[in-house]
Amino acid sequence: MSVPNAVEILLVEDNPHDAELTLRALRKRRLANSVLHVRDGEEAIHWLFAMGAYADRDTDHKPKLVLLDLKLPKIDGLEVLRQLRTHEETKLIPVVMLTSSREEQDVVESYRFGVNSYIVKPVNFDNFSEAVALAGHYWLLVNQEPK
Amino acid sequence: MEADENPPFSEGQYQLLFERNPLPMWVYDPATLRFLTVNKAAIRHYGYSRKEFLGMTIKDIRPAEDVPALLADVQANQSTPTVTSVWRHRKKDGTLIDVEITSHEFQFGEHKTKLVLAKDITEQLRAEAQVCQLNEDLEGRVSERTAELTAVNKELEAFSYSVSHDLRAPLRAIIGYSQLVLEDYAARLDTEGQRLLGVIAAEALRMSQLIDDLLTFSGIGRQRVQMTDVDMTALALSAFQSLISTHLPKAPQLNIKTLPPARGDSAMLRQVFVNLLDNAIKFSRVRKDATIEIGGSCARDQNVYYVKDNGVGFDEKYVTKLFGVFQRLHAEEEFAGTGVGLALVQRIILRHGGKVWAESKLGQGATFYFALPVRKES
Repeated sequence: MSVPNAVEILLVEDNPHDAELTLRALRKRRLANSVLHVRDGEEAIHWLFAMGAYADRDTDHKPKLVLLDLKLPKIDGLEVLRQLRTHEETKLIPVVMLTSSREEQDVVESYRFGVNSYIVKPVNFDNFSEAVALAGHYWLLVNQEPK
Repeated sequence: MEADENPPFSEGQYQLLFERNPLPMWVYDPATLRFLTVNKAAIRHYGYSRKEFLGMTIKDIRPAEDVPALLADVQANQSTPTVTSVWRHRKKDGTLIDVEITSHEFQFGEHKTKLVLAKDITEQLRAEAQVCQLNEDLEGRVSERTAELTAVNKELEAFSYSVSHDLRAPLRAIIGYSQLVLEDYAARLDTEGQRLLGVIAAEALRMSQLIDDLLTFSGIGRQRVQMTDVDMTALALSAFQSLISTHLPKAPQLNIKTLPPARGDSAMLRQVFVNLLDNAIKFSRVRKDATIEIGGSCARDQNVYYVKDNGVGFDEKYVTKLFGVFQRLHAEEEFAGTGVGLALVQRIILRHGGKVWAESKLGQGATFYFALPVRKES
């Protein structure tokens, strides 16, 4: 996937089918033009902090939303979230957990690390599309971010 | 003569008391350590003749390494009237025994001597040591088992964690992609093709429901029961209201009596009412005059609660299957459900130390009971 000029949504998802369903749900609401999809926690960290393959990225540009899966190869979602929240320049980026897990410990941990929202991926496709679209719509179009 | 004093013994009677005493006794001279007299029990127990004894000192019935301690003890306790202590003695045949020695100051003719009573406690000490060993073994085994259980529990937790993560993803794909085909290729699919895809999606959805229910079920087993005082009437009422507001076009008639309060985990007990009432509503929906009754009573050591409906009921032949996981007594097309509801009810009540049972006649409604033990506040 090519990197859009101005990434507004960073989608961190290792399951290609979940990713396709997510992108499709976003596309339906015309929110998919500026999505970057990365496949593990390490790639997410590299992009967010302009490291590795993304070393040349302009870090002044911040995404409006990170859609973060919990269970990811290499570096898991909680660790990505933790790193985002410990660095001054990434501290305020809205992060929404989008995960299969409804385990209480995962929800509590995510909130403890400062997640903005926690969404359990519905198994039903209509509900799933609706949840993704709502989250995208809210954070991109409704929410007022600090200037 | 004072009433609490014994009448005096004659010297002969004292002699008899000494000679016939079942415990080994002797008198020795603390200055020379020589035996001055021994009784029959001592001769029998130690194996020396009276003559041999009178030619020996009290050092001679001890292992050599204990003699310094003996000498120190004799020195230290010279003027102590009565002493009890444990020593090792050696019999004539070389056997070592543990003895509890009680020694008294004793006037023997002209001499100030010591009268000694020796009680063989070898067997007693051996038995005590054995009990100690057994206790230690038992503790060892208990902590071993506890460790095993903890490991199994951890494994189970990891298992359900991975189930909750990994098993849902393929189902989401099955349902999602069926939907994509329906959306993108609707024009090229006839009604039968659409129906078939619909079945695939519906079954995947049902499997996801099964997974959810199974996780809830296994979660109840792992969860800690948090005991509080529970207002069962309010709990039952709120459970009923949550059910009729979510999925009922027409609510059944509810007849609720005042229930005895309980001591238990309020969230879990709420789940019990939700599941029982959900069933009651589901199986009485076919009736125009659907009525549900909730009641309870106090017995001596337990409170009994019940949920009664006038629905389709069940055949009591199958009552044993009722509370099993994934057991259903009705066809899926007739009444939806995964068959986990009553299993969950039973599990929760068992975890509270109570029990569940049910009565019914086919076509005449069913009554589900559960009993909770009444705990006295300590």
